[in-house]
Amino acid sequence: MKILEIHNIKKKFDDVEILKGISFSMEKGQTLSILGSSGSGKTTLLRCLNFLEIPDEGTITVNGDVLFFANTVDLRDENVRKNRRHFGMVFQQFNLFPQYTALENVVLAPKLEAKSKGEIVEIEEKGRELLRKMGLEDRMNNYPHQLSGGQQQRVAIARALALQPDILCFDEPTSALDPELTGEVLKVIKELANQHTTMIIVTHEIGFAKEVSDEIIFMDGGVIAEQGTPEQVIDNPSNERTKQFLANYLK
Amino acid sequence: MFTNVTLSLLEGFLGTLKLFSLTLLFSLPLGLVISFGSMSKNRIIKFPIRFIIWVIRGTPLMLQLLIMFYGPGIFLGINLWGSGDKGRFTAALVAFVINYACYFSEIFRGGIQSIPRGQYEAAAVLGLNKRQTFFKIVLLQVIKKIVPPISNEVITLVKDTSLARVIAFYEIIWEGERFIKSAGIIWPLFYTGVFYLIFSGLLTLLFGYIEKKLDYFR
Repeated sequence: MKILEIHNIKKKFDDVEILKGISFSMEKGQTLSILGSSGSGKTTLLRCLNFLEIPDEGTITVNGDVLFFANTVDLRDENVRKNRRHFGMVFQQFNLFPQYTALENVVLAPKLEAKSKGEIVEIEEKGRELLRKMGLEDRMNNYPHQLSGGQQQRVAIARALALQPDILCFDEPTSALDPELTGEVLKVIKELANQHTTMIIVTHEIGFAKEVSDEIIFMDGGVIAEQGTPEQVIDNPSNERTKQFLANYLK
Repeated sequence: MFTNVTLSLLEGFLGTLKLFSLTLLFSLPLGLVISFGSMSKNRIIKFPIRFIIWVIRGTPLMLQLLIMFYGPGIFLGINLWGSGDKGRFTAALVAFVINYACYFSEIFRGGIQSIPRGQYEAAAVLGLNKRQTFFKIVLLQVIKKIVPPISNEVITLVKDTSLARVIAFYEIIWEGERFIKSAGIIWPLFYTGVFYLIFSGLLTLLFGYIEKKLDYFR
C-alpha cells in the first residue's frame, strides 16, 4: 500500500493559482525530493501537506485513509491537529522555540501528551537519544541562540522525529545556512534516508537530491513538469524546463 | 519638624501607593483583554475597541478624571461614586484603570504581533492547540518583549497618581501642599519629590531584575 497519495491538489492565493493540480504518490521508506525554481509552488505543496495551507481542491490520503477532501476541513478542527501528526515538518528558518533548551524543544510536544510520570521519563530518554543521533550530545542543554544554524536545524529535525511522523517533510532545510554548515545537516538527512525514513525534501541542493532520493519531482509553474528516478530527471531530463533549470544550475 | 513632615508625607504617600497598586492590579489584566479585542477578526468587536483606545490615548488623563468624577452627576443626574473620600477614590481608580489598560493593551498588542509566524507554525505542526501555543510558546516571548515598555508605563503611573489631586483625592502632593496653609512653609511640597524618586528607583531595580531573569534566551 502507498504511504501517501496526493490527488489533484489545487491552491490559489488571491486569484493567483500556485498549485494547478498536483498528483503523486510514494511508498513507505522512500525519499522524494522536489526541485524547481522559486515560485514553482513546491513550498506551498509542502505546506498543504502539513495543513499550514488548506488546498482548494484535491485529496490527501495517508496509509489508505483520506485525510483531506477539499473544502470539508476547518483549520480549527481537532481533526486537523490529528491529521497533521502524520507529517513532520522541518522549516527553512528552523523555528526553534527560543526559551527552551535543545532537549526541551525536542520533548515539548510529546510531553504534552504524556499521561504518567514514567512516560515522561521515557520521552526524555528518547529525546536525548535523538539528539545523540544528531551529533548533539554535548549541546542538549543549550538554548537555540547558543547554537550554530546547522546545530539548530539538527535540533529541529530531532524535534520533528520525536513525534514519529509517518512522513517527514523538509522545506529547504539548508537554504538559511552558510555552505560550511550545510554539510552537517545534509549528512544527518542522508543518515535518515539510509534508515528508510519516509521523507519529502524540497531543496535547491541538486547534487544532494540526486544522491539521497529514490524519486525526484521537478515542479514548474504549479504543475509537476517531470517525475522519475534521479537518473531520469537529473541526468537525462526530457522536459524543456527541467533541462533549462539544470543547465542554469550547472553553470 | 522634619520628622513630623516626613511622617505626614508618608501618610499621604500611602494614598498614592493605594491608587498606584490597585490601578496596576486591574489595568494589566484588563489591558490584555482589550488587546485581544483590538486584534479580533470580528469588526463589531475590533472597531469600537480601537475607537475607545483612540479616545483614551488622545485626551489628557486629567480631563478624563474630571469627566469620570463629575460626569455622572452632571449628565445623568446620578450619584454614581457615592460621597466623600471613598467616592473620590473610586472615581479616580476607574479613570486610571481605563486609561492605563488602554496603554497596556497597545503594548501587549505590539508584543503579541511581533512574535514571528514561524513560531505559531512550528507549534501547529507539532500538534499544539491554540491554548498550548499561547501559554507554552508565545507568552514568555511576549513578556520578554514587553518588560521594557511596561516598566516605562509603570514608572509614569507613579507620578501620574498626582493628577488625582484634581478631584481632591488625598495623596502625597495634597499632604505637602497642606503645610503651606497650616505652617507657612513650602519645602514639604518640594520634599515629596524624594518619595517619588525613591519609589521609582525601587521599581527600576525590580524591572532591571526581571529583564535580567529573562536574559537567558533571545
